[in-house]
Amino acid sequence: MSGPRGRPSARRLAPAIGALLAALAAVPPASAHGGGLGAAARSSLTIPTWLVVLTGGAAVGASFLLASFVTDYALIRAIDGWRARLPDPGRVAVLLGRLVGLGGLGVVLLVGVIDPGPGTNLAVLLVWVGWWAGYTGSVYLVGNTWPVLNPWRTLAGLLPSLDRAYPERLGAWPAVVALLALVWVEVASPVASDAALLATLVAAYTLLTLAGAAVLGAEAWFAHVDPVARVFRAYGRVAPVAREGGRLRLRLPGAGLTGEAGGAADVAFVVALLWVTTFDGLVATPAWRRFAGLAVGAGLPPAVLYPLGLVAGLVAFLGVYRGAARWARRTAGTYRSAEALAVVFAPSLLAIAAGYHLAHYLGYFLTLAPALATAATRPLVGLTSAPTLALPPWFEFVGMAAVLAGHLLAIWVAHARAYELFPGRRQAVRSQYPLVGVMVFYTLTSLWIIAQPEVPVPYT
Amino acid sequence: MTGADDPAEAFEVPTGVEAVTCPECGRPFVDEEVLALHRGRAHAEGLSGEPRAAFERALEAEETWLRRFRLKALGGLVLLYFALLTLYALV
Repeated sequence: MSGPRGRPSARRLAPAIGALLAALAAVPPASAHGGGLGAAARSSLTIPTWLVVLTGGAAVGASFLLASFVTDYALIRAIDGWRARLPDPGRVAVLLGRLVGLGGLGVVLLVGVIDPGPGTNLAVLLVWVGWWAGYTGSVYLVGNTWPVLNPWRTLAGLLPSLDRAYPERLGAWPAVVALLALVWVEVASPVASDAALLATLVAAYTLLTLAGAAVLGAEAWFAHVDPVARVFRAYGRVAPVAREGGRLRLRLPGAGLTGEAGGAADVAFVVALLWVTTFDGLVATPAWRRFAGLAVGAGLPPAVLYPLGLVAGLVAFLGVYRGAARWARRTAGTYRSAEALAVVFAPSLLAIAAGYHLAHYLGYFLTLAPALATAATRPLVGLTSAPTLALPPWFEFVGMAAVLAGHLLAIWVAHARAYELFPGRRQAVRSQYPLVGVMVFYTLTSLWIIAQPEVPVPYT
Repeated sequence: MTGADDPAEAFEVPTGVEAVTCPECGRPFVDEEVLALHRGRAHAEGLSGEPRAAFERALEAEETWLRRFRLKALGGLVLLYFALLTLYALV
């Protein structure tokens, strides 16, 4: 067992934030030993990786067996339908949220234009640590505040719009493509450490988004096309706080993962979200490094390695998921189409994606949060040293626990959906066999990735 | 979750197979037993006579199957537990 995600990803750290960690490693052992988390964990842990991974898979399988003991339609409906009303946020809170969003966008653009020079800086830390790691976590753990915070939505609301009709046949496909493109840029370019490049890309994204919103109308653009808004909406469905029927309500985590009417493209978006979250971890493993070396050695141009990998992985993930849905038709004994089953069970995958995101980014966020706070006080200079938080060695188990928690929630959600869909309880139980098989397999894969030592991402 | 446009409500009956369909809503089912359960659960109001009796019978059959499944699930859990326990003891 080594290389936990508690240690921030080498890729993101490169080279700017990496210097911070190097500085951390130099402090006296008492406070530093959490920083060298990999080494510390290796020496303190005697359980081999394969056994930990296997135990995780077994836990998911066992939780399916446990969930199958809950066979009362009324009880399942009651658990999923439980709601408590929350006080509505006032106009002031909404206005404040919008200002925070606009301020964040302004800081990223401004710092990028000024280009504070070597070291890390507020723009990079704000985007990757504050927003992509920390804020995303708040979306699935608490609730989706992005519709308020989203600075592009605020700006688009101020601009006139042509309100052209969105071509419905495109569905969620533009968002799927845009999501893959975003992750490609994030993985394969130095955008994770270069404030000027980051600001350029954010500016380009701003122009594109405002143009799109001006043509289609803000509502349609952020509902269908904008990948960021869609990602947060998807994660927000896992969260316990949500706006339902115009009021703010508290619900059990995962209770929002009901089959919101969708089609093949919506399924593809959910699967794509799960895939890119996995891909993000996969590219930093030694196995990917070896694979990339072989592929490039065999004549694949390095430039197409990542786009091709992203698309091929999505096709493979979709193929496995749709295969499981077709198989579930047979095990359950139903004439509902495979497509229908894929649509109904897809939201449960969002719980898995959220769990994996938490495993991947919680340690990263906690480690670098003090650096972010420091940068916030000195926004216009490059920081070559900033405080970071040393995480204890046991922290890697928090990551494993997050992966497991995501799967357990997904098992329950799929179980509840099956009882909603099928009139027979035998059908409901049997429909889960292929899905649980796929989930156990995916648990094994993602726990294995989490347990890998992290290496620099090759060919970037 | 209703309406013809909802992809979650799409059905595919294999060609050459005669599905049993619900007289109330027209949804196709693989056999009489599932249909009986569907009628009992989705159209419970005003269900009487033979459909009611069929529902009761189907419920009973379902309960029997569930009891056996729970036993197997429990067996599976115990097996899993001891298999892991043994593994941890050996490694």
